Formats: sequence, structure tokens, C-alpha cells
Amino acid sequence: MAMAALRREGRRFANPLLSPRPITAVRPSLFSEEDGSMGVRNISTQVVRNRMKSVKNIQKITKAMKMVAASKLRAIQVRAENSRGLWQPFTALLGDTPSSASGHALQALFDGSLIFKSKLVAPCVDVKKNVIVTISSDKGLCGGINSTSVKTSKALHKLVSGPDKETKYVILGEKAKAILIRDSKQDIEISITELQKNPLNYTQVSQSYALIGGRVPILTKFVPKLTVSVLADDILKNVEFDALRIIFNKFQSVVSFLPTMATVLSPEVVERESEAGGQIGDLDAYEIEGGETKGEILQNLAEFQFSCVMFNAVLENACSEQGARMSAMDSSSRNAGEMLDRLTLTYNRTRQASITTELIEIISGASALEG
Amino acid sequence: MASNAAVPFWRAAGMTYITYSNICANLVRNCLKEPHKTEAINREKVHFSISKWEGGKPQRPSLFDLIHLKHELGWRIAL
Repeated sequence: MAMAALRREGRRFANPLLSPRPITAVRPSLFSEEDGSMGVRNISTQVVRNRMKSVKNIQKITKAMKMVAASKLRAIQVRAENSRGLWQPFTALLGDTPSSASGHALQALFDGSLIFKSKLVAPCVDVKKNVIVTISSDKGLCGGINSTSVKTSKALHKLVSGPDKETKYVILGEKAKAILIRDSKQDIEISITELQKNPLNYTQVSQSYALIGGRVPILTKFVPKLTVSVLADDILKNVEFDALRIIFNKFQSVVSFLPTMATVLSPEVVERESEAGGQIGDLDAYEIEGGETKGEILQNLAEFQFSCVMFNAVLENACSEQGARMSAMDSSSRNAGEMLDRLTLTYNRTRQASITTELIEIISGASALEG
Repeated sequence: MASNAAVPFWRAAGMTYITYSNICANLVRNCLKEPHKTEAINREKVHFSISKWEGGKPQRPSLFDLIHLKHELGWRIAL
């Protein structure tokens, strides 16, 4: 609501408000049409008054949006912090594997601003099919968080793509879609929007997993053996992946968000890596209950891991979004306040000038009569 | 531990672990008594729109909520 109103206001007053020129530079043009014509002596203050009113309205709206963002933030922050407990055990068990030797390059690329979720020195995993899951928001007016995650995704895309490799985007949120559609639309596989209409919950997020990549292992393992369900068509169309790279903004505080990458490997890759030893090799130390094979366990585990990581990532990003919106709205209401001060000053000065002019005219007229 | 034996079956039905556990969770929610039941079901509302892309063009987006999904996966067996 508030945002729509702001957009409307913004469109109406976009020109003067958004113009980079300081207000004083605009002033002459404001009055030029008023005085001079028709021999009007008094400078009209109507234009300035109108602008003051509009700036005041915009300030009210941004203030309201800040309040809304702040209250939403508080609700999401608790949930985001609680959800961190979901992926931590997985990272301890499976590690979080930054892509191959390029992990450092990527880090260098972002000047240390990109952090990997885990500090473990994970084995180098170089896989053929990467799927980059870019998480962004549906709505704008929230600072640079969307462009940060898109930039990170693009850099990652450049990094992991190679001659016989395939890299695809899966996009969450309108904003990243709008940016990526410009130059990488060939690589977009799936886009998901309207995720935040209801409060975020686990069922919702995990359902999107089923659509992103979860069905592929079924295709390779079970479908040939057993009845092909109605889904088979659907399955074939879905994304195949060896590694999912989830890019999101990790919430640190209201003013700082870290672009973060979390990696989820497909069960086949995990199994291969665990054979090869290294960090994931620890998996053998655990006892497997029941009659299931390690492959089945790993498959279930990888699916669950992805849904947990996604859940956390979506919450963190939503949290960052609200935080960013809060600070953006804060600074824009401050800007509006400053603008209002300047306009008030201009208004008062003009008024005073016209009063002074009138006084001078009266006095000089009177003295002319006397003399 | 009946679930152990069930694994191949829901896999064959085209479900993932996530879908399976969601169905189970939904069953549990449906077992709650009334004031809590609606509350729990409302809390876990699913709503998003998804569109697949082919050749750089988005296909028609489809809305997803729980009812669609149940329909698609034949959840009615489980519910």
C-alpha cells in the first residue's frame, strides 16, 4: 500500500525530487514563469508551497515504510536466527564445499566481502552441472541487496562455467529476474516469485526444492525400474544438477549484509567425494541404521540438507531485505527533511523579500508625496 | 519403523524425501484438535508462482499452493 502510494507520489514529483541538482539551482526556473509575465510584481510562492507539500507527503510515506520494515524485521530476525541451527549440523557433517580451486579466486574477486558459510577446508569439488540459486526480493526500495546477490551470482557463473560445463540460474524473487533477464536470459532455468505473500515457512520453501532439482535422482535411479508416473514428463523437464550454489545476503545487522554462498552437492557427488576421502570421508565413521544403503541415506540427506539451507537462506535474505529497506527509508526521510528545510528557507526568504519590496514602495511613495 | 520399508515406494511414486516428509507433517497437523489444527494448517500455507524458462523466454507462470501440489502428486492417497 505505502509503496504503491509512494510510487504514485514519486511519479508525480519525480522530476524535482530526483534531480541531482541542488534545490537552489532549480529555484530560478521555478519563478521565471511567475514573474515577468503580465507585469506581476509579487513573486508567487505557490510553486514552492506545492513542492513543500509534496515533499512532506513523501517524507510521511517513507517514515511509515520504515516503521513497517522495522516491525517486519523484528519478526523475521527471530526466525532467521532460529533457522541457523538447521544447516549447522549439515555443515559439520558434509562440509560446505566452495567450488574447486576457484574458491580463493572468487574470494579475491570480492575483496573478501564474499564469505563461504563454512570455514572448513572442504575438498575441491569440481562438478559439471552447476545450478546457481539466486535469492532476491520481490519488492524494491531496499538498497543494494538485490544487485549484490546478482553480482555475486554473475561472478560465480563466470567462475564455474567452462568448455564442457553447464551452469544455470534458478531465480527467486522479481528483482534478480529483472536484472538477469538483460544479459543472461539464456541461462535462466526457473524463476520463482511471490514467495513472500504469506509469512515464510518451511513447507513452502521445501516445496520449491521439490521443483528445483529434487526429482532428478529419481529419474536416474528408480523410474527406469518401476512404473513411470504422470510426473515423468515433468521430471525430464526439471533441472539436473551436480552442485547447487545458493547465493543470498546473510543478515548480520540492520546495516550490514554479507553476500554468502552455500553449496549443496548432489548425492552422487557426495558419494564420490566420500569414497575419495577428505572432509566428507568422515561420513564412514557414522553408523547407518536400517536396511538402507549409503546411497539412499545420502540422497535423503542431501535433499533435506538443501531444503534446510534454502529455508535459512530465504529467511536470511528476507531479513536483510527488511533491514536494508529500513535504513534506505530512514535515509530517504532524512533527505526529505533536509529538502523541506531548504524549501522552507527559500519560501520564507521570498516572502520576506516581497514584503520588503512592498514596504519600500509604500515608503518611497509617501516620501515622494511629502517632498 | 515402517518408514524404512516404505522408502522405495514413495521414491517410485516420484516423491522426494522432502515431499514425503511434508506429507507426513501434514498428516500430523491434521491429527491435531480443533483450535490448534486450523492454526497449524494456516501457519504452513504454501504460495508461490513458478515459471520455467526455455530458450530465454519464461513460460506461463503457474501458481503453486498446497492444493495444486496434492493434486499433482496424487497426495490424496496419503491424505
